[in-house]
Amino acid sequence: MAEERAAVLEAVRDHGGETRSLFLRVPGGIAFRPGQFISCLLPIGGERLIRPYSIASSPEDGEHLELLIDRVPGGPGSNHLFDLSPGARLDFTGPWGTFLLDRAPEAEAVFVALGTGIAPIRPMLRRAVAGATHPLTLLYATARPIYHDELAALPGLTLDVIAPAAAEDEMRRRWLERDAVRSRHFFVCGVGEIVPRLRDLLRGGGYVRRAVQYERW
Amino acid sequence: MAKVIVRFENGDPEEVIEVDLKRAPFQHDGRPGSILDVLLANGVPLEHACGGSCACTTCHVVVKRGLDKLSEAEESEEDLLDKAPGLTPTSRLGCQAVIEDDDAVIEVLVPRYTINQISGSHG
Repeated sequence: MAEERAAVLEAVRDHGGETRSLFLRVPGGIAFRPGQFISCLLPIGGERLIRPYSIASSPEDGEHLELLIDRVPGGPGSNHLFDLSPGARLDFTGPWGTFLLDRAPEAEAVFVALGTGIAPIRPMLRRAVAGATHPLTLLYATARPIYHDELAALPGLTLDVIAPAAAEDEMRRRWLERDAVRSRHFFVCGVGEIVPRLRDLLRGGGYVRRAVQYERW
Repeated sequence: MAKVIVRFENGDPEEVIEVDLKRAPFQHDGRPGSILDVLLANGVPLEHACGGSCACTTCHVVVKRGLDKLSEAEESEEDLLDKAPGLTPTSRLGCQAVIEDDDAVIEVLVPRYTINQISGSHG
């Protein structure tokens, strides 16, 4: 089975609204690709529950790893993580996942972050702006744009923060109705049914399957 | 009772499970009544790095018999399978493939390798 690693919780930052960053240190570091997640192994109720969380930091951050967590009402995993204090040990496996971006896309790219779906997209964007040759847009559908100033400062990135419920209409208007260009690449991440719905909107509107990458939580 | 035969490409001994699907879910990972659910509840190891939430490909199995007795793959599963090493036309994700016939005989092969995609050009 997968190799287990141990991380130490070093710090916590509240973003308000039941969203929190956990800053971990992984002795020896961890090699991962922007967009990937780790699977936390949480001792809950006499069992070990597996809970995947995207890595919100960059591979270049060395031993330091950031997770962005929403507290889910009644969710044992997120509540367990919210109860941890600095110094706590956190076991995990990974990295895992195929929602990835290794280098600047060779086409116009649109990143769609729904709420804390910004987590895997943040390291993807940092990678994308380095050496970008095509336009990069982040559509950030959220009432609380975590990492706003940092994202706004990324060179060559167009940042648009919109209301959480506006993503579908905004995408239809901008990337389906406004022109016939279908060479864009999309990277979509968020919680729930909206994610496959946006995938279907794009693929149904003429974008090829592999140009629409997504991760649904 | 449905029957699930599990073979392992790495040479581990074959496992045969009989299961009453009406009692699903049998544990907490994967869809209720899925191949992953049945195997884990019977102590048969199947990697499931994301906890059975259709976010990775580590529970990839090759279905050798009974493919038509399993729930149809949704697009999210197909998209992940596209990235699974050793993909075959009868590949499924164990966490998503639900056994739908209580008289089914399902035979799956667990491939030798899973992948965690660590090694990228910037790995």
